[in-house]
Amino acid sequence: MKDAKPYLLAFLALTLIQWYVPLHMIYKKEKVHKTGREYKFRISPVDPIDFFRGKYIALHYQESTVKTSDEQNWTAGEIAYVLLTTDEQGFAKIQSVSKEEPKGQSNFFKAQVAFVSRDGSNTLRLSYPFDRFYMQEFKANEAEQLYWQKLRDTSNTVYALVGIRDGEAVLKDVLIDGVPLEALLINGKGE
Amino acid sequence: MSIRKEIDELLRAGLITEETAEKLQRYYQAKKQTSSNRLFTAFGILGAVLVGLGLILIIAHHWDELSRTTKTLLSFFPLLIGQLLCAYTLLKKRNNAVWRESTTVFLFLAIGANMALISQIYHLPEDTAAFLLSWMLLGLPLVYIMNSSMASLLFLGGITYYAMLQGHSSYAKPSPYLYWLLLLSIIPHYRKLCKNRPQSNFTFFHHWAIPLSLTFALSSIAGEQDKLLFIAYFSLFGVFYILGDSFLPPSTKPAANGYKLIGSPGTVMLLLLLSFQWFWKGLENSPPQFFPGSPELLAAIVLSLTAALLLYHQQKDKKLRELKPLTTAFIFFIAVFILGTSFSSLAVLLINLYLLVIGSLTIRNGARQNQLSTLNYGLLIIAALIICRFFDTKWSFVTKGILFVLVGMSFFFANYLMIKKRSAT
Repeated sequence: MKDAKPYLLAFLALTLIQWYVPLHMIYKKEKVHKTGREYKFRISPVDPIDFFRGKYIALHYQESTVKTSDEQNWTAGEIAYVLLTTDEQGFAKIQSVSKEEPKGQSNFFKAQVAFVSRDGSNTLRLSYPFDRFYMQEFKANEAEQLYWQKLRDTSNTVYALVGIRDGEAVLKDVLIDGVPLEALLINGKGE
Repeated sequence: MSIRKEIDELLRAGLITEETAEKLQRYYQAKKQTSSNRLFTAFGILGAVLVGLGLILIIAHHWDELSRTTKTLLSFFPLLIGQLLCAYTLLKKRNNAVWRESTTVFLFLAIGANMALISQIYHLPEDTAAFLLSWMLLGLPLVYIMNSSMASLLFLGGITYYAMLQGHSSYAKPSPYLYWLLLLSIIPHYRKLCKNRPQSNFTFFHHWAIPLSLTFALSSIAGEQDKLLFIAYFSLFGVFYILGDSFLPPSTKPAANGYKLIGSPGTVMLLLLLSFQWFWKGLENSPPQFFPGSPELLAAIVLSLTAALLLYHQQKDKKLRELKPLTTAFIFFIAVFILGTSFSSLAVLLINLYLLVIGSLTIRNGARQNQLSTLNYGLLIIAALIICRFFDTKWSFVTKGILFVLVGMSFFFANYLMIKKRSAT
């Protein structure tokens, strides 16, 4: 086995890459988690026909359509940079969308254009990179039911807490009237 | 052991010499060893897959009680175990196929599991194509470093799925050219397998996995000029058929010859599909534009040239009579396709006639070579052709009925005659 050395060296290099890729992914997300600005995104009740997806909850956001002036320049599937601001109640609001990274700002994230109006109404519907909330497998179903129940009751405010920084976004939690979904589940279904 | 008894008996009867008996014994001993080794490899891989998947499922439970950091650390656990096992294999068990294949499969799965779990911990959205691409790129070097054919098969499966996802996405994304590069990256391993272990099961699986992958992935480049893809597919199946017929190691078992077993029925099925009028009517009404940048045109040209080159190599020292009917289907189709852009009815007629000729020639070949399978394949082609025409011709039920009875009877008679001929010889 005299020629094992080059293979071992190559394998060592490979293991380093195999660690680097996920660690880099974690680093990027952790940075946003720790230092990103927190935004509260209102969740909208959408007909929950396909809500059961196993161990995550599908989230639909109220603030996900935006007016532009140039619908003919947009196509579904492309990347849009969404610059954020907040409304009077402190919830996230889209300030503008652009094809290029906004310069000199950090409160923006990358979204995908899901739909472009072609009737002159100049509307873009965006799909956000934080539309899934993973939970422990047995809790997810229960949580989802609670979540829908709360969403339908308009006296509750259901929102997602998202960290945003320089194009990256990290979903931190889903809250109902300021209480995390998880905590509501533990405290007897939030009654 | 029964073989030993048999050998002893032959020796006693004076049918074989002492030396031959010894050789025979050694031969069967070696054969037994390789077959038990194969079994070990198969079980080793199965075990690695099960343990790997089990670990992934346990971690995928998404333990909410644990902190984010703990969950993240746990997701690296299978990766670390896999890497340690592979390192051990490289150091101590490099010549042991069971160790090599099973540890590599485990690590291959662990890479994917690790990334999937991190996506979950950080609630990342679904982007299966990007996920698969990173996974396959991180796994590819294992094929060569660990010399693992199972990793190569997993890789082939992964990149095929990637190409399909990219190509059939609902958004207009760029064509997945990357797939072709990824496929090329596995060819050196495949060539080595064909050269060094032509009889290995892994080689046989590759003979199936590669043409299957190509067949699926080619559809992913379909865009606006998708009619040109029919030329590409005819040529692809032509390439498969010629490769399977003449370029695989001669010892390849018929069932392991995925190229031929995909190429031949693939060509026939395409011909049957195009023996209807709808395609040609559409082609005549909106003929494709042969503008140079289109990926479909590129695929059609590259594949047709490859098929033509292979055909030339196959036939250069042979007589025209030895030409197998299906090998030239792609050339015929290109001609009919060009003709069909202006004369759709003529194209339909030609395709139908061609199928009839191919069916008849296959029956004749089957009869000449005394092969029941070939004979029945030919009959099946004719029967399928008639069934297709059942739908779109205005023949009366009586005519259709008589045709069916005739084909059915020919099945009986042809098989009967051949079996009789066989038992007579």
